[in-house]
Amino acid sequence: MAVGLILFGILMMAFAMVAAKRMSALIFGFRAQSFFLFLLTFILAFRENSTQLYFVTTMLFAIKVVLVPNFLCRVARRIKVNEDLGLSANPTVSIFAAVLLSYMAYLFTGKILSLPGEFENSAFFVSLSVTMIGIFLMMARMKALAQIIGLLVMENGMFLAAASVSGGMPFIVEIAIFFDILLVVIILGVFVFKINKLFTHIDVDKLTELKG
Amino acid sequence: MEIFPILLIPLVLAGIAVLPGVKAGRSRKFGVLNAAGHFANAALAVTLALGLLKSGEPVSFLGFFYADILSAFFILTISVINSISALYSIGYISADVKDGVMSERKAKAYYALFNLFALSMLCVPLVSNLGMVWVAIEMTTLVSAFLVGFYNRKESIEAAWKYIIICSVGITLALLGTILFYYTASRDGGISSLNWTDMAAVAGSLNPSILKVAFLFILVGYGTKAGFVPMHTWLPDAHSQALAPISAMLSGVLLPTAIYAIIRFATITNVCIGTGYTGNLFMLFGLVSLGVGAGFVLVQRDIKRLLAYSSVENIGIIAAGLGFGGTVAIYGALFHIFNHAAAKSLMFFAAGRAVKKYGSHNIREIRGIISAMPFAGTMLIIGVFALTGSPPFSAFFSEIMILLAGFKMGLWPQAALLLLFMAVAFSAIVLNISRSAFGGKPEGMPVEGEPLSGKFAFGILILLICAMGLAAPGFFRDLLLAASEIIRGA
Repeated sequence: MAVGLILFGILMMAFAMVAAKRMSALIFGFRAQSFFLFLLTFILAFRENSTQLYFVTTMLFAIKVVLVPNFLCRVARRIKVNEDLGLSANPTVSIFAAVLLSYMAYLFTGKILSLPGEFENSAFFVSLSVTMIGIFLMMARMKALAQIIGLLVMENGMFLAAASVSGGMPFIVEIAIFFDILLVVIILGVFVFKINKLFTHIDVDKLTELKG
Repeated sequence: MEIFPILLIPLVLAGIAVLPGVKAGRSRKFGVLNAAGHFANAALAVTLALGLLKSGEPVSFLGFFYADILSAFFILTISVINSISALYSIGYISADVKDGVMSERKAKAYYALFNLFALSMLCVPLVSNLGMVWVAIEMTTLVSAFLVGFYNRKESIEAAWKYIIICSVGITLALLGTILFYYTASRDGGISSLNWTDMAAVAGSLNPSILKVAFLFILVGYGTKAGFVPMHTWLPDAHSQALAPISAMLSGVLLPTAIYAIIRFATITNVCIGTGYTGNLFMLFGLVSLGVGAGFVLVQRDIKRLLAYSSVENIGIIAAGLGFGGTVAIYGALFHIFNHAAAKSLMFFAAGRAVKKYGSHNIREIRGIISAMPFAGTMLIIGVFALTGSPPFSAFFSEIMILLAGFKMGLWPQAALLLLFMAVAFSAIVLNISRSAFGGKPEGMPVEGEPLSGKFAFGILILLICAMGLAAPGFFRDLLLAASEIIRGA
């Protein structure tokens, strides 16, 4: 029951991010989604009573709930990004697209994969939806920072898939992926600064020096 | 146990590169050390390959590092191209430092990143855990993005941004594929391990429909990194903006490391559902990449972008070879990976020299390379024919192998398309490059020679593309043969 509610929360936060019109709302949505993800892995860790899963849970909390959103907030403040996200599709259309993507994920999970067990099925459905919504955010939001968040939302979807469908990947891989995410965000943050300095904006659709 | 020194050398070199102290002329000295280190690495790769051929048994360490003959082939290709790029870097970087384009501090950063990039690529074929393969491939993106955006110009930062974003999305999809592989391995195969050796052992009992979906994610995900059309859009930007030695590494060996990852998943999938499924997908992506790549080469006016699209086209040839299947075609595909890496490095080095001298990427503005830079110009012309697979160069033999295998297996339409697109690419590259190679050089441009390190680098590459075609050393042929048997699952 609790698990179902948490899965629902993860999916809802993805929709909230699609509907968000301001950078701060987007970052908050990501933080909240990561927090639900943290609750879910905590429950899994508690059920299996495994030290490794507890460790993964702690890492998840530290990196995705605290460090990464704080870092993104700081980047947003430092480059004084104006709050709009460069919507190339307005929130209503975006929500509609996100619902459609979720429905496709639902069909895909039910028809093609047909995993055994209700929890696995719904968890995989949510993770696939979240991943696709992440891709959608990257395509429909033209600010560089918003694209980073889109990538992170995709990663959240992946984490959910790994944690629930396969009961967690081998420990070392899990840790390596965490460091990888941290590194990606930091490096992308560095590039956001560079773009801001050279172009005096971070609108990705206006990066058009290279053609053909 | 050559695995550890192979990984340790670039790590130590990266450490030395960032040691404090900025003195004039330091970058040159370090460049020499760097090249020596990477040549030692190439020698180690040869001994690794020889040892594996002799024993026939893969080596592994703690179930984490693992090398069989297929890994040895990729390690050999990567380390050879690394060493030649390191050699070419000496002259390239010290010229940049002398011209004031790059500070000594920046040169230090270059060598540190060069070695980290080399290290991340060498890790890919040497770890047995498919999750770690994923991490290593992601590392190659992150490190090389800094090398793409190295000059901090508008275009290079734009290219680096697109590079990280597109490849990260691709690789996230590959992670989903990996998770699905792991899922069916743990549920149907009864193992909780991501080691591909363990997965291959239980491959027969995996769930076919999940495997099909998972392999699709893998192919699209890692295919983004390998430069398959339509996920190739980052590639021309990144390759044209990177420094010339890095362009050679990106094009010559980074794309094949992604192919390596796909091959490992394909062998597992093949055991379970036969070679038809993966083979058809390889053929589809290969022919589309080849056709689109050849088309873009034809209309391209930017010399480095032209070479980048030629990489897309060559990756297409390699994928088609893997898709045809059978020993001859797969042998040809692996052989083509090596030949393409050597010929493309030669082209990027020569084109890089021309771009620097003329201060332009545009083929219409680059005129008379042969008269302005006799040495580099001649190399460029030889490179054109080596790259397009003209006899007697080695790429001719690999391309003809793939083609003949295709016709022999009765895949007439596919092989005919392959031949057609190859012909388009050939004429496009010859036409475009010869325009800038010949003709009169601009008024008053001084004739320029090639620095010694550059001459050596070109010399080794010429030797490779000639010798590998006409008289490949016996061990290299054995290596290719054994590696293609591994891919076939024999």
